[in-house]
Amino acid sequence: MNEQAELLPGTLDLLILKAVSLGPLHGYGILLRIGQISGQALLVEQGALYPALFRLVRQGALRARWGTSENNRRAKFYELTAAGRRRLSSEAASWERLADAMALVLKARREEL
Amino acid sequence: MSWLSFPRRLAAFFQRAGTEREIEEELRAHIRERADDLVRTQHLERAEAERRARVEFGGFARFKEDSRDEAGAPWLETALRDLRFALRLIRKSPGFALVLVGTLAMGIGANSAIFSVVYAALIRPLPYADPDRLIALTEIRAQTPDAPYWNSSYPDYLDLRRQSRAFSSLAGFSGDSFLLRGSGGSELVAAGQATTNFFSTLGVKPFLGRDFHGGEDTAVGPDVAILTYGFWQSHFGGDRNVLGRALGLDDRSVRIVGVLPRDFEFAPGGGAEFWVPMHISDGRLNRRSLRWMPVIGRLAPGSGFARAEAEMRVLTANLAAADRQANGTIRVVMNPLRDRIVGKVRPLLLVLFAAVGLVLLIACANAANLLLVRATGRAREFAIRTAIGASRARLLSQMFAESFILVLAGGVAGFFIAREGTALLIGAIPDSLLTSLPFLANARGNPLVVAATCGIASLTALLFGFAPALHVSHSRAAETLKEEGRSSATGRRRRLQDILVVAEIAFSVILLVGAGLTVQSLSALLRRDPGFDTRNLLTFSVNLRSPAYEKPEKAARLDRDFTARLARLPGVAAVAENSVIPLTGGGNTIRFVVEGHPSVPGSEDETNIREVSSNYFSTLKIPLFAGRVFNDVDDSPSASQHVIVNRAWVARFLNDRNPIGARIRFTYSATEHWREIIGVVENALDSGLDAGEEASIFLPTAQDPSTFITYLVRANGDPAHLLTPARNAMRELDPDLALITPLTMDQIIAQSPSVFLRRYPSWLIGCFAALALSLAAVGLYGIVSYSVSQRTHEFGIRIAVGAAPSDVMRLVLGESARLTALGTLIGVLCALALTRLMRSLLFGISPSDPPTFIVATLMLGSIALAAASFPARRAVRTGPAVALRRY
Repeated sequence: MNEQAELLPGTLDLLILKAVSLGPLHGYGILLRIGQISGQALLVEQGALYPALFRLVRQGALRARWGTSENNRRAKFYELTAAGRRRLSSEAASWERLADAMALVLKARREEL
Repeated sequence: MSWLSFPRRLAAFFQRAGTEREIEEELRAHIRERADDLVRTQHLERAEAERRARVEFGGFARFKEDSRDEAGAPWLETALRDLRFALRLIRKSPGFALVLVGTLAMGIGANSAIFSVVYAALIRPLPYADPDRLIALTEIRAQTPDAPYWNSSYPDYLDLRRQSRAFSSLAGFSGDSFLLRGSGGSELVAAGQATTNFFSTLGVKPFLGRDFHGGEDTAVGPDVAILTYGFWQSHFGGDRNVLGRALGLDDRSVRIVGVLPRDFEFAPGGGAEFWVPMHISDGRLNRRSLRWMPVIGRLAPGSGFARAEAEMRVLTANLAAADRQANGTIRVVMNPLRDRIVGKVRPLLLVLFAAVGLVLLIACANAANLLLVRATGRAREFAIRTAIGASRARLLSQMFAESFILVLAGGVAGFFIAREGTALLIGAIPDSLLTSLPFLANARGNPLVVAATCGIASLTALLFGFAPALHVSHSRAAETLKEEGRSSATGRRRRLQDILVVAEIAFSVILLVGAGLTVQSLSALLRRDPGFDTRNLLTFSVNLRSPAYEKPEKAARLDRDFTARLARLPGVAAVAENSVIPLTGGGNTIRFVVEGHPSVPGSEDETNIREVSSNYFSTLKIPLFAGRVFNDVDDSPSASQHVIVNRAWVARFLNDRNPIGARIRFTYSATEHWREIIGVVENALDSGLDAGEEASIFLPTAQDPSTFITYLVRANGDPAHLLTPARNAMRELDPDLALITPLTMDQIIAQSPSVFLRRYPSWLIGCFAALALSLAAVGLYGIVSYSVSQRTHEFGIRIAVGAAPSDVMRLVLGESARLTALGTLIGVLCALALTRLMRSLLFGISPSDPPTFIVATLMLGSIALAAASFPARRAVRTGPAVALRRY
């Protein structure tokens, strides 16, 4: 079995918000960080990142500004807005509830019914 | 398209995320970063690393598109796309665009031009403090109720000023003129003289120096002067050290104490270049019956017009009781100052404003019609685009963009038409009239007018943007597609177009009738016999006020010598004098009693008095009705005192009895003798071509000599050629004397208010009517030809089943005839109601003159049918096979 997991629909936004919440990042940097903090377990199709980034900017969760990357290239850096921070915490909470519930369901055994 | 790239860059600047270029740059940066990593960690060649990075990235174009969609289309970008699309559409049908832009430009331009003139004259506040509280006061005798004057006597003015509580101040003014002596010679300049509280009454403060002080109005004056801004600029170059310097006026040295603000204007003061305190003596100072001074007043705080009027009734009753002889029958008439100033041109401007408003309405109707027809023609295109997923908002926004471009172009062109048009409108006003309407001089370049133009343009943009838009929302895609363009337009759409055309026709009828009435008024006015021969007459005046002519004999000698020299000039037939040039009006009046007629002191009759040379009547070719004219014996200071009267005088004061031998006496002085009437002349118009016949008494000049002499020279040919020789003749006698206001009688007539008030609107309304007519014709042509093109199929079937071409012709023309008839009927009814409002501009014609209405109706009807007949003929020519094959 592949050691990398495909993303569930709707989770990319949350991942991006979380990655950016740790410090401003450019697009490629966000990919690297998601890989890093998930222990390379989560796979994001590279190009698919960008429509999500523009959506989050339009929705006001992210703010973008041009800067210079570590490799000395011009790159656009994203950071959380206040609205983005609120959204991150509420989505994280509901994701945890869902994950807990899923974990409970999947662990259920006959004798516990 | 290069001019569109700048706004796009601008858009990118404001909208950091979202433009295509930025998205692409960001995505490429990602791929390069990834390649950097691949080079570093996997030691790939750069080219191989980039290739791998691109593959890993996935579908570049798709993600770019998705990103742009997610970023949300920025409105400016969308708007620019719509505008570019609209420009493409417009370029595809330049004829349509040209007609529409032209229509709007004419409508907006003409409207703004007229509006800027109307604004300058009627709406803009006068440049005084609280101008609405300024009142003009006139003393009127019951014997001369229709006198157009605006005058009071000085002693009465002083009494009113002292007693009035309803006015916080009352001030008087009058014209004046001086020989201004400078280093470069002398020139005659127009000035104003005023009571010392004149500027404070207006609420105007000199912007340099001071106002007049009380007591500076002495009979031996003037000693001080306040300059207008223009005179300060032209004669002192705007030097701020002008205060205290001296002006050489006549033989006096007058100290400059102030300069008026730049925006100061006072229309009734004529073209006064500077103002001095009132400096009057003798009769003008003391005689209560000599009414010569216009008075203005400022209502006291808390006092209104009605209260002031009531107070004036009481005060004039006191004046009458105190001096029956002078004031027995006077009353004071009050008008707002603005009415006094613009009263004469107000009806003219309002009529022009209404007329040009109609033009704008027609232009709007026409433009709306054109856009409607176009939108209807594109219904199928819209339906298809809706079917394949275009949102209604997108369609509306595109249609709006198209309307916006067209209206903007129309508005810009209209603005330039307005600017030029305003200049033309002002330029068409004779100089002599413009002096009395100084507020029109700055009608140009008015920011409010620009704002109004833009307002009209954007309003029409909204209207037209939505008129076709309404259509789209009414149309159902499926229905439209089902129609396959075969049937005629839907009922609702057709009705809206019909209404627009009917309105255009109705408005055109109103304008045609208005134009017809004013043109006929003008021609009736110019055809009117003024009672004398106006051809080949040159007039000018000479002012003998300098000390050199203080002795009457010296003045009389100069007059005699000058007349003799003039008479000897080649081309001169005769030289006469009159104290007032006929058709210009404004002369003196005098009170008199007829021997044997009972008369109450103070209630004597009053009539025009004119001093004329003995050859005046023969020179002007005014026929003698009875008795004899003056001879050289009459025209001498020592002669027995004879007078001549005109027929209007005999009719009014002697009930047409034979006046020869009757005697009259002037009542201004107890020492006046009886004067015998020796002749009666036919009436000649005195105040203007539109004036009634006024009663006049004529005296020989020698018996009442004036220092202001007006000459009338009858030429054998063109009188204008005589001016230079006449000037030379005067220069030889006295180089200091100038010929004042030299004008031929033709010029006087052309510049006279009575002619101007008819010529101006007849030209303008005529132009408007022509414009309206062509717009209405275009409108009718447009909808008929559209309707024909929509019904080609139907006509084809009709002809195929046996209809004659004439039947189809009748079908098409009948429809336009119905619209035309309805529009004409409505127009005639509206015109009947509206032309009444222009009664004061008409002359010799009734506002409901039947021939004018009939001609206007026929003219419109024939042009409308001509416009409709082109498409109708096209309909007839369509062969059935062609019509049916088209679908």
